[in-house]
Amino acid sequence: MLKINNLHVSVDDGQKPILTGLSLDVPKGEVHAIMGPNGAGKSTLSYVLTGRDGYEVIDGTVTLDGEDLLDMEPEERAAAGVFLSFQYPLEIPGVPTMTFLKTALNAQRKARGEEEMKAPEFLKKSRALAAELKMKPEMLKRPLNVGFSGGEKKRMEIFQMMMLEPNFIVMDETDSGLDVDALRIVADGVNKLRSPDRGMLIITHYQRLLDYIVPDRVHVLAKGGIAASGDADFAKRLEKEGYDAYAA
Amino acid sequence: MRCRNPIMDYRDKPGNEGVWGNAMTLSNQLPTRRNEAWKWTDVSRSVAEGIRGISVAAPVQIFVPEGVTVTRVEANNAANDSSLYALATEHAGQTYAIDVPAGFLSEHPVQIEGLTHGHAQISLSLGKGARLQLVEHYDGQAGAFVNSHLNVKLAEYAVLDRVIVQTDTETTVRVATTYVTAWANSELMQHTLAFGGQLSRLETRLAGMGKAVKATINGAYLLDGKRHCDMTSYIDLACPDGLIRQSVKGVTADKSRGVFQGKFHVRRPAQHTDAEMRHDAIMLSDTSEIRSKPELEIYADDVACAHGNTIGALDESALFYMRQRGIPLAQARALLTEAFLASVFDTLEDEVMRESLLDKLRGWLA
Repeated sequence: MLKINNLHVSVDDGQKPILTGLSLDVPKGEVHAIMGPNGAGKSTLSYVLTGRDGYEVIDGTVTLDGEDLLDMEPEERAAAGVFLSFQYPLEIPGVPTMTFLKTALNAQRKARGEEEMKAPEFLKKSRALAAELKMKPEMLKRPLNVGFSGGEKKRMEIFQMMMLEPNFIVMDETDSGLDVDALRIVADGVNKLRSPDRGMLIITHYQRLLDYIVPDRVHVLAKGGIAASGDADFAKRLEKEGYDAYAA
Repeated sequence: MRCRNPIMDYRDKPGNEGVWGNAMTLSNQLPTRRNEAWKWTDVSRSVAEGIRGISVAAPVQIFVPEGVTVTRVEANNAANDSSLYALATEHAGQTYAIDVPAGFLSEHPVQIEGLTHGHAQISLSLGKGARLQLVEHYDGQAGAFVNSHLNVKLAEYAVLDRVIVQTDTETTVRVATTYVTAWANSELMQHTLAFGGQLSRLETRLAGMGKAVKATINGAYLLDGKRHCDMTSYIDLACPDGLIRQSVKGVTADKSRGVFQGKFHVRRPAQHTDAEMRHDAIMLSDTSEIRSKPELEIYADDVACAHGNTIGALDESALFYMRQRGIPLAQARALLTEAFLASVFDTLEDEVMRESLLDKLRGWLA
């Protein structure tokens, strides 16, 4: 599904190399975890996949179901089904959450040539989901993420993810800022989205999240590429032994 | 030779270039950038000899609800010696005097139209406890000069809800000056939506002459092309317990230019004044320009006065976040810009009017 081949990425106008030949293959239906020390380029990977400015691809390819992702604008990637759950979700003052999400959902549908979702259907779906994620209904009326706690913001990311039903999900440090109860709710939501048609890449510094969302494969990102890979138990070993063996 | 009266504080008078004889040419009669109050809005340079409207009266139309009267009276310009006022006095003909009786209340507004070209002098007087909505539409003709003076008197406890919509062409030159005299416990709520013109100056001057005067003076300007919009205000408080809230927000695209000049003048007796001035602007292009001059001049010692001024760009991180969710760049920009500007109309009580202003704003952003 997602194929990354020999990816080289630099920041600071190409002056500072971050990824130096990263290759990774996430087949349909699988959940892969990316772990690694701070500063290894985990967040860089999430931003390159979603097309943020300031990350210069020097070499390599990234395709989703055979389509060249790197050639697309961020909104085109979103319409192709790429969703990033942000490590630090942005506050958007003045834009009510529901307006934001409905605009996003229908922009994606329009880009894919699908019919827009009508207001009653949207409302019904969002209310049911909010209840499932144990979110207060008034959160949906407030401007997006404004005045939300760290945990509420992360929950809002999962809420958006479940509303948008993307094909490929990238989660960047989703567990940070969550207490155990919130972590369970978030993980339940993510697990519900696991399907044979969907791929996921879970970026995390700690193994904790992977107790709840058990990955098919675990990779260590260090020194600009994948330094080691293993199964779910590998994550537990990493937690115990640390990343020293892979660090520069 | 230009002469100024040395004892006059010329900064506090719009277009004041002193008093001249009749022999002066037109360009000498108009404010220039050499005048501090007009340094960013040089009317003289934008108005050519023979420009449409320079020596005629504006075809003013005033619609009033039942109970409000409009009469024509002789102008009384003794209190004002600005050059633009002198021009208006010379060419506008008789003043339109709108009289709103004490205790007046209506769900229908007074509407002023027809300020398309030429000069106009209008006075509006609200009697004690009267409440009125005033809607002014500035819809100037292409290549025309419009110079209007509105004199407002608010008697005690009168409330004026004023809405100004400027939809001039990109070749209209407009100066609209308003003087408000507010007596005790009266209130002005003013909301302006402006799209600029070749040159435009929308100026509000309020004199708080009684206790506990309240004023909300909000506005939004949205400029593109080579449009220019100047929002200037001067709030002069002479009595205690005034409450002033001002928020002006703007966006500038292309090669446009936004100007904000705001001044609070709190005189010694105006104790317990509570006044806040904000100007916040977003530049959508790096070839546009924003000039801002907030001023506080305070002589009373027990007051709460503040001003804030920010100029920036749309938040790139927020834009990326919205695009990651599938919202195309142009739409993301429009949503963020609307969210930024719309708050100046939160204080507009008339919801239908507020929606209508927001629709115009969205139309510009689309």
